[in-house]
Amino acid sequence: MKNPKKNAPKRYFDVEEKSSEQKEQDVEVYNIKNNKRTDNKRIQKRKPHKNFKGKAPIDPEKLEAHSRGEGVGKGVKHPLHAAKLRKKERKYTYAQEQAARAEILLTEDHGGLEVDEDVKTTAISQKIIAENVDISAATKIFELNLDFGPYRAKYSRNGRHLLLGSKKGHLAAFDWVTKKLHFEINVMESIHDISWMHTETMVAAAQKEWLYMYDNTGTELHCVKKMDKILRMEFLPYHFLLAAVNEFGFMTWLDISIGEVVGHYNNHLGRTSVIAQNPYNATICLGNSKGVVSLWSPTIKEPLAKILCHKTPLTAIAVDNRGMYMATSGVDRSMKIWDIRNLDGPVQHYRLRSAPVDLEFSQKDMLAVGLDEVVEIYNNCCSQTTDRPYLRHRMAKTITNFKYCPYEDVLGIGTRSGFTSIIVPGSGEPNFDALESNPFQNKKQRKEAEVKALLDKIPAELITLNPFDITEVDVPSLQEQMEAKKKLLYLKPKKMDFTPRHKKKGKTQIARKKIIKQVARKEFIEQAKEAQKALDLPQPESAKKPSFGVLDRFVPTVKTKK
Amino acid sequence: MEDIEDTDLVALEHDRLISAVSKLDKTQHITEPTRNEPTNLNSEFNLIKRTNKLNIDNVAKVLEDTAHHVQISKKLKKTQSGAKVLSKPLEKPQAERIKRATGYEETKKKVGRWDPVVARSRTVDYVTFPIKHVTAKLEPTSDFLTKFQLKSELEKELEEVDPQPMVEDEEEDEPIYPKSYEEMVEYRQHLAKMRAQQSYKAAKAKRQSKIKSKKFHRVLKKEKLKQELKEFEELQKKDPEEALKKLEAIEKARALERHTLRHKSTGKWAKNKLIRAKYDKEVRQQLADQLAVGRSLTKKLQDNQSSDDEADDEPTPTFTLSQDPFNPWMVQRSDKSNVNAEFDFGYKKFVQNKMNKQKESDDSDSDDNDVSEKDVLNEKLFKKEKSPSPEPMEEKITIPKANKEKLAGPKSKKGKKAAAKTKAKKPLATSNWDVEIVDDTDNNKPKDNLEYLKLKNQKTRAVIDEELMETSSKTAEGMANKEKDETISELVKAAQTPVQEPAADSNIDPNRFIEVKPKYLNTALSQVENEYDQLDDDQVVPRVNIEEVFEEDDVVASFRQEKEDEINKDKPEDINLTLPGWGAWGGKGVKPQKRKKNRFILKAPPKMPRRDENKGDIIIKEFKDPKLAVHKVKDVPFPFESVKDYEASIRAPLGNTFIPEKAHKKLIRPSVITKAGKIIEPMDEEELLVPKNRNFKNESVIKLLGRKK
Repeated sequence: MKNPKKNAPKRYFDVEEKSSEQKEQDVEVYNIKNNKRTDNKRIQKRKPHKNFKGKAPIDPEKLEAHSRGEGVGKGVKHPLHAAKLRKKERKYTYAQEQAARAEILLTEDHGGLEVDEDVKTTAISQKIIAENVDISAATKIFELNLDFGPYRAKYSRNGRHLLLGSKKGHLAAFDWVTKKLHFEINVMESIHDISWMHTETMVAAAQKEWLYMYDNTGTELHCVKKMDKILRMEFLPYHFLLAAVNEFGFMTWLDISIGEVVGHYNNHLGRTSVIAQNPYNATICLGNSKGVVSLWSPTIKEPLAKILCHKTPLTAIAVDNRGMYMATSGVDRSMKIWDIRNLDGPVQHYRLRSAPVDLEFSQKDMLAVGLDEVVEIYNNCCSQTTDRPYLRHRMAKTITNFKYCPYEDVLGIGTRSGFTSIIVPGSGEPNFDALESNPFQNKKQRKEAEVKALLDKIPAELITLNPFDITEVDVPSLQEQMEAKKKLLYLKPKKMDFTPRHKKKGKTQIARKKIIKQVARKEFIEQAKEAQKALDLPQPESAKKPSFGVLDRFVPTVKTKK
Repeated sequence: MEDIEDTDLVALEHDRLISAVSKLDKTQHITEPTRNEPTNLNSEFNLIKRTNKLNIDNVAKVLEDTAHHVQISKKLKKTQSGAKVLSKPLEKPQAERIKRATGYEETKKKVGRWDPVVARSRTVDYVTFPIKHVTAKLEPTSDFLTKFQLKSELEKELEEVDPQPMVEDEEEDEPIYPKSYEEMVEYRQHLAKMRAQQSYKAAKAKRQSKIKSKKFHRVLKKEKLKQELKEFEELQKKDPEEALKKLEAIEKARALERHTLRHKSTGKWAKNKLIRAKYDKEVRQQLADQLAVGRSLTKKLQDNQSSDDEADDEPTPTFTLSQDPFNPWMVQRSDKSNVNAEFDFGYKKFVQNKMNKQKESDDSDSDDNDVSEKDVLNEKLFKKEKSPSPEPMEEKITIPKANKEKLAGPKSKKGKKAAAKTKAKKPLATSNWDVEIVDDTDNNKPKDNLEYLKLKNQKTRAVIDEELMETSSKTAEGMANKEKDETISELVKAAQTPVQEPAADSNIDPNRFIEVKPKYLNTALSQVENEYDQLDDDQVVPRVNIEEVFEEDDVVASFRQEKEDEINKDKPEDINLTLPGWGAWGGKGVKPQKRKKNRFILKAPPKMPRRDENKGDIIIKEFKDPKLAVHKVKDVPFPFESVKDYEASIRAPLGNTFIPEKAHKKLIRPSVITKAGKIIEPMDEEELLVPKNRNFKNESVIKLLGRKK
C-alpha cells in the first residue's frame, strides 16, 4: 500500500490513505455538539483581588479549642468510601474553622476587680462596688429581710428568676431583675429544699412529708407521694430528671417529662444533706459523714466511684461548670480540690480557720466559700494555689446556702433571715447562647425552647462517668460476636482492629512520680558534676606511652575493665 | 362364413383402433423395469468424497483444437494459477467466540467512556437533577401577544359552518434523517474495521494453534511472563494496594496449586520419566526441575515480618546435602530453569528479589548508630560460618531490617505471638535447600560440619517453634568445634532475648510521693465563733482541735479495706479441677503430684489493670452497664476495619446547636437533590464532555466502579 503502482487501476476495495491513517491512530469520533456546559472556559478561576488577600488566618489555639480530635485515618481501604470519608473530614474541619471564626461574635469580656498594687481586692466592699457601677448594675445589690427562718435560694437556668423557700414554709418565686413577684405562698409545712424545673413556670418543693410541685402562680400541680421526706434535690435539665435524696438515704430519680420514677434505691450512706450535681456527666455527688464522696447514676444501684476526701464528715461539695474540678470541705476545717474528670487528686488542699457551710463554683470558676456569716470568694484556686480570697462579704446573719446567678456577676445568698444579693465582678459568663438559655426569653421563645429541649432529652441510662461512652463501640460484645462468627463454618471472618480511639492511658500518678524522680536524679547528677568541678580534683592523667613507630603493633595492649 | 371373416376383420380393426387411441394417451401403463440404487451422496454407509470442483483443465482441453481457442484456454489457465483459494472458514463456535471477543472489546470501550461520569457522581457530595438547567427563555412580547388575537365575525361564522378538526398536538418526534454520505462512509469503515479485526484474530488463532514448536511456546510463555512482570512493576509504582492484591491472587494460585498437586511425581509424564531416570542423567535433571517448580509454588510466600523475626532468631545458613546429589527431590532447579517456570513462580522470584534490593538499600542507608549489638552479633555469626554463601542473600539481607524493627521499639507481646505462630506454620524445609551440581561436593563439606554442630546446639535450646532441619552427615570434627559453637549459641541467645523494658519501680508508694501540702488560708473568722472563743476563755475550757474530735482513724482503714475487697471481687480466679485419688493413690498422707495438680488448674485470664490502680483512696467500680450497652454500637459497619476509625467517623456532632449553621447545613445536605416538578431526563453523551466529568481523575474509584463483577 505504501508504493502503489502508478498504473494500477483503482479497485473498489482499495482503501484511501486518509482512512487508513485514521485506523492507525485508533481515535474514535463521536459527534457531540459543543455547548455552554461542555465549554472549558467556564471554570476558569477568578483571580484573587489585589486588595483582598483572602480570609483572615485563624488563631491555631482557638482552632485547637474547637477540635473534635483525631479524624479517620487511612484504615478504610475501599477507594469510594475512603474518598467519601475524606470529604466528610474536610467538612468537619470546615465546621471547626467556622466555629473558631464565629468566636469573633463573642464580644463581651468578663470583667473583674482591678486595684492598685498596695490595695487588696478584699478591701473592696459591696458599698464601694455599688458606688462605682452604673445604676442598673447597682440594683443587683439588695437584701430581703424575711421573717420565716432560714431561707434557701435558687436561680432558674437562665438566671432571670429566683426561688426562695424557707424552713417555715415560705415559698416565693420572682423575677429578681425587675423584682416582679410571680407568687408567694406559705405551704404551712417545713420546706427542706426547692428547685426550679425545666422552665420558670414550674417549681418543686420538698416539704415535710412529700414532694410538691407548683406552677408560677402558686397553684399546686402535683403531690408526688413516691418521694417522701426529701432532704435535698437537684434538677438535671438535659435529662429532665429530678434527683432527690431523702432522710433514710434513699435516692429517687423522677423523670418529670413522663412522670415516672426511673431510679429508686437505697444508697446505704445514711442521712446526708451534702449533694451536688456534676454538669459534665450528670452524675450526682453525695457526701457522707465518713468523708466519702460517691458518684451516682439513676440506673445503677451502686456508686460509680467513691473518693475518700476527708477523714471527717463532709460539710459541702461543689462541682465546677465544666466538670473539671470538685471542691469538698469537711468538719476538719479543710477544703480540697479534686480532679473529678480523671477521678484523681487532691489537686489542692487548703486549711481554713473555720469549717465552710457551703461551697459553690461560678460559671467562670470562682469558688464561693461560706463561713457562717462570711462569704469568701476565691479566684483561680483550682489549678494553682491561692493565698488570699478575691472578695469577702460579711453579713450579720448566718448563711444557709448560696448560688451564683447564671450570666450575671451576682451571688445570691440565702440566710437565716432573708436573702442577700451581692455583686462578684467577673464571676458570670458574659456571652450567653440564646438557643441554650436566654435571660431575655419571651413567652413564645420559652415554649419553643421547651419543645426543643423535650426533643433533645437524653435518656437516663446514658448517665455514666464518661459521657462519651455512647460514642464508643462496645468492644467486648463486638469481640464476642466476632468469636461467634468465627465458629460458624464457611464464613470468612472479618478482620478487625479492636483498639479504641481513646486508650485511657493518661499520665497516672505513678508516671508523674517517675518523671519527678527522674528529674530529681538528673538534677542530682548535674549538681554532683558541678561540685566536682568546683573542687577541681586533679584528673588522673594517663602517662603518654612511648611510641615505637612501626613496631607499635607488637606492644602488648593492657585490657582495662569497664 | 363371410360373416365370421368379417367379424374377425372388424375385431382386428377395432383392436388397432383401441391401441391407436390408447397411444394417444402416451402413458405407459406398464412401467419399464429400472434399477434404483442409492446414490453415494446421501449414503450413510459409504461416505465417498466427491468433489464438485470443476476441473478447468478438462474444460480447456476441449478448446485446444482451434488456434483461436488456445488463447482463451491460456488465459483461463493463467487466472487459475493466479487465483488463491479462500481458506476454509473457522469452525462456527470458534468464529462466534472471536466475534464475541471483538464485540466485547468494542462495547467495553464504548461503555467505558462513562466510567468517570459514574464515578464522579458517586463520589461527589451531592448530585442535583435535572442535570441540564433549562434557561428560562423569554418570549418576545409581540409573539406572546399574537396568541390573543380576536377572531373576526367572518371567521366565527366560518367556524360554525365548517368546524376545524381538532388538531392533535403532534408529538414532535426527532426527525430521523437518513445518513449523510460521510456518515455512511464512516459507518461502513467502522464495520469494515470490525470485520478486519475479527479476521486478523481468527487468522492469528488459527496460525498459532498449529504451531507445534516447543521453543516457540517457551518463548511465548517467557514473553508473557515478562509482560506481566512489567505490568506488575508499574502497578507497584502506581498503585501499591492493587499490587498487593495481585500478590494475594498469586498466593491464592499457590493454594490452588497445592490442591491440584501439579508438578509432582505423580503425573503420567513424571512416571514415564521416572522409569527412564535411572539411566538418563538429563531426565533426572528435568524431573528435578519439575519438582523444584512444584516446591517453590507450594512454598508459602514469607511474610516480611515473620521472616525477619526468623532471621533474627536463628540465622539458618544455607546448606547442601552431599549425600545423594542425584536425588531429584533434593535437586533445586538452576536459575536457568527459572525462565521455564510457571508465571506465578516468576512473580514470586521477582518480588523476593525486589524485597532484597530494598532491604539492601535500607541497610546502606542506616546510620552507624543504628547498628545495634545484634547486628554485630549476626555479623560475627556469619563470619564464623565462613560459608562461601552461594545464595545466602535471603538471610543476610533480612537481618538488618529485623534489627531496625527492634530499634524502633519493643514489639508488643501480641505481635510477637503472631510472629511466632507464623513461624511455627511455615514449612521452611523446602525453602532453604540449596542443591548444587554434583561436582562441588568438597566445597560443601565444611559448611555441613557447621550445620551439624548448629543442629546439636539448637537441640539443647529446646525451642518449640523451631524448624525441623535434616542433616545426615556426621563428622568427627564436630566435637572439636563444640566449644566454639557454644559461644555461638550464647551469642544467638543473647540476640534472642528481647531488650527488656526497665521494670517499673515497685517500691514507689503513691501516698508518700506527692502529698499536696495543705495551704493555710487566712480566712475570716465568723463573729459567732469569736463569741464562743471568748466564752471559752472565760470558762477556761481546754481548747480542743475540732479535727481530732471528729476524725475517725478507722475511716481510712475501712475505706482501703473496701477497695481491697472490690479489687478481689473482680479478680478472676483459677479453677481447680483436680480430683484427689483420680489416676493415683489417694488417702491420708498421700500428696498429689504437683505436676498432675497443675495440669488440672484452669488458669484465669490475666486481669486488666483497674482504673483506680495507683490512685490512692479512690474506688472506681468497673462493671458493664447493660442498660447503657443497649444504646451502644456492637458492630463496626462495612467500610471500617478498625474500631478506632469508626469511632473517629462519628466523633463530631452535626446539630446546629453544636456547630455553626453554615457548617451544619453543609453536613446535612442530602446526596441527591431533585427539583420539584421537573422531568428528569436520562444523561446523554454531552455529559461526557462536561469539564468536571472530564477532569475527574480518581483512578481507583473509576476502576472500582468500572470493574466487571
